[in-house]
Amino acid sequence: METALLEVKNLAVHFQTPGSSGGPGGVNKAVDGVSFQVFPGETFGLVGESGCGKSVTALSLLKLLPTPPAILAGGEVIYRPEGRRPEKDLWQLDHEDLIKLRGKEISLIFQEPMTSLNPVMKIGRQIGEVLRIHSAEKAPTPEEIRREVLAMLDRVGIHHPERAYEAYPHELSGGMRQRAMIAMALICQPKLVIADEPTTALDVTIQAQILELLKELQISYHLSLLLITHNLGIIAETAHRVAVMYMGRIVELAPVKELFHNPLHPYTLGLLSSIPRLDREGELKAIPGMVPNPLHLPAGCYFAPRCPRVMEVCHKEYPLPREAAPGHTVACWLQEK
Amino acid sequence: MWAYFLKRTFLILPTLIGITLVSFLIMQMVPGGPVEQALQRMKMAAQSEGGPGFGGALQTAITSAELENIKKYYGFDQPVLTRYFRWFKNLLRFDLGTSYTYEKPVLEVIASRIPVSLTFGITGLFLTYLVCIPLGIKKALKHGEAYDHWTSLLVFLGYSIPAFALGVLLIVFLAGGSFLALFPTSGFISDDFESLTFLGKVLDILHHMFLPLVCYTIGGFATLTLLMKNSLMEELNKDYIRTALAKGLTYRQAVFRHGLRNALIPIATNIGMIIGVILSGSFLIETIFTIDGMGLLGYQSIVNRDYPVALGLLVISSLLMLVGRIISDFCLVLVDPRIRFR
Repeated sequence: METALLEVKNLAVHFQTPGSSGGPGGVNKAVDGVSFQVFPGETFGLVGESGCGKSVTALSLLKLLPTPPAILAGGEVIYRPEGRRPEKDLWQLDHEDLIKLRGKEISLIFQEPMTSLNPVMKIGRQIGEVLRIHSAEKAPTPEEIRREVLAMLDRVGIHHPERAYEAYPHELSGGMRQRAMIAMALICQPKLVIADEPTTALDVTIQAQILELLKELQISYHLSLLLITHNLGIIAETAHRVAVMYMGRIVELAPVKELFHNPLHPYTLGLLSSIPRLDREGELKAIPGMVPNPLHLPAGCYFAPRCPRVMEVCHKEYPLPREAAPGHTVACWLQEK
Repeated sequence: MWAYFLKRTFLILPTLIGITLVSFLIMQMVPGGPVEQALQRMKMAAQSEGGPGFGGALQTAITSAELENIKKYYGFDQPVLTRYFRWFKNLLRFDLGTSYTYEKPVLEVIASRIPVSLTFGITGLFLTYLVCIPLGIKKALKHGEAYDHWTSLLVFLGYSIPAFALGVLLIVFLAGGSFLALFPTSGFISDDFESLTFLGKVLDILHHMFLPLVCYTIGGFATLTLLMKNSLMEELNKDYIRTALAKGLTYRQAVFRHGLRNALIPIATNIGMIIGVILSGSFLIETIFTIDGMGLLGYQSIVNRDYPVALGLLVISSLLMLVGRIISDFCLVLVDPRIRFR
């Protein structure tokens, strides 16, 4: 079997929450023992409701969370670029070495391209800056940078690269801004791109275009893509494998087809049946109940209070993940029977 | 956009009419104007010449014929509005009238105070920005740490000390009052100023300026420092800083290349007000240190009912403020590409 480019083992990220109005503070285990692998050239989807810890996972990989309040509580983030030292743990790297990886080998695409770009700096400069800071041996001339940025803008489907180069973020449309953001992420030809809700802030038609672009770029650059989204439709179209997160833990991990055809965890089932579909009769089924307070998690399975197939054991102990089919793991007591 | 600035420029005139008309009317209503003062002087003169007992007869002698003359001399024989429009017409020809007190053209009187005010204004301004911008940045980066706390204590201490109280303290302790005599007590230049070399003159002025300048600027540090700090902290929480870090910049680079430029926008907004340094001055500080500056002139002109000087100062400061606001707007367009006026 191929070795994974990125291997996340037992990742745990906590937030120290201050006590408010007399109540004691607590530790919010936003990410609590998450493990997954991303293979070269693969799109790995991480899906879940808002607040389930998927964005925290994404940001913590490159230590982009402000600490405090975040606490990188434990785990390993093994990164294995080909043809170099076999592996390194990103969390154990010196700060200088980690910074050298950011934007060059592992880059990020954020959700809201309006606020994620500096409003008072021209697009061309913001993209060129990545090249400038990562040129190790000899600094590229301004003309070289300009040429490369323009080529990249053209590559991500911006029709008038010259115009976009000189534009400020507010002068571009949302779709164009996200394309510029993608250009910024890809300009150094990274091996892994982490896309945190890359299309959530966009119109549906633009969403489709951006997803197409990401898919196409992934193939031509042989990228690994870690795609974070709350939208199962996007996962179905884009990802090869997918992990479903609930309350900071992965509850089910499977190849995309397998997950959609044979969902095993009741939460995954709930998610799938809450997608509106025209070809299905009847009411839209929402998952009943509320997401529990992360400071007071239930003793057993975190989904037990909302689970339609809850059993006695579910309230006592959190189920261990087990392999139900090749490449398909689930953490649910239903599988233990 | 040019149309916007043209419109703003044209609006200066009506605004100025509004400001001056109201002030003109208020000033006329205050008792103790030049006519009454002249009468008072004549009464005193008569009293000291003749003995007691003649006073009553003399006073009636003045009222009838001479009162009209005095009123005419000061232009008070006309109704208020007529006087205002005459004054405003002269203003349009840059004629602000003649000072009652100094009996010289108002512009000349004001111009004679400008060098002192300008020296104080410009040094004070540079000092404030030079201290507050770096201090605000450092406080933002060290928010919540000990450094942040004790610098806050210092700037707020400066903010809360009344300038005149500090002035008196400084004179007592540092300017020969009872302890050290490091600085001159008063004045702007030494008596032997003319005989000094150029460098000597500069040092002499600085020596005289130091204490008043401390009083003048110390209260202003808090506002600008805190504005800088809060503005930068707000920017540092924004998404584009995270993007900058994700690109591979160090935190310092992200702060200085991305955050700072955005954080300076609210500060650049006030830049046009710098033009006001021409008239800067503080009556209290100038009185304590006996400096013949703009603050003292303004105060005395009001106490003495020297209307032409008081109105002249008002016109100039209003004009500077109005022009300053336009300059501010223009600077805002320069630093923030998102802003376009229509």
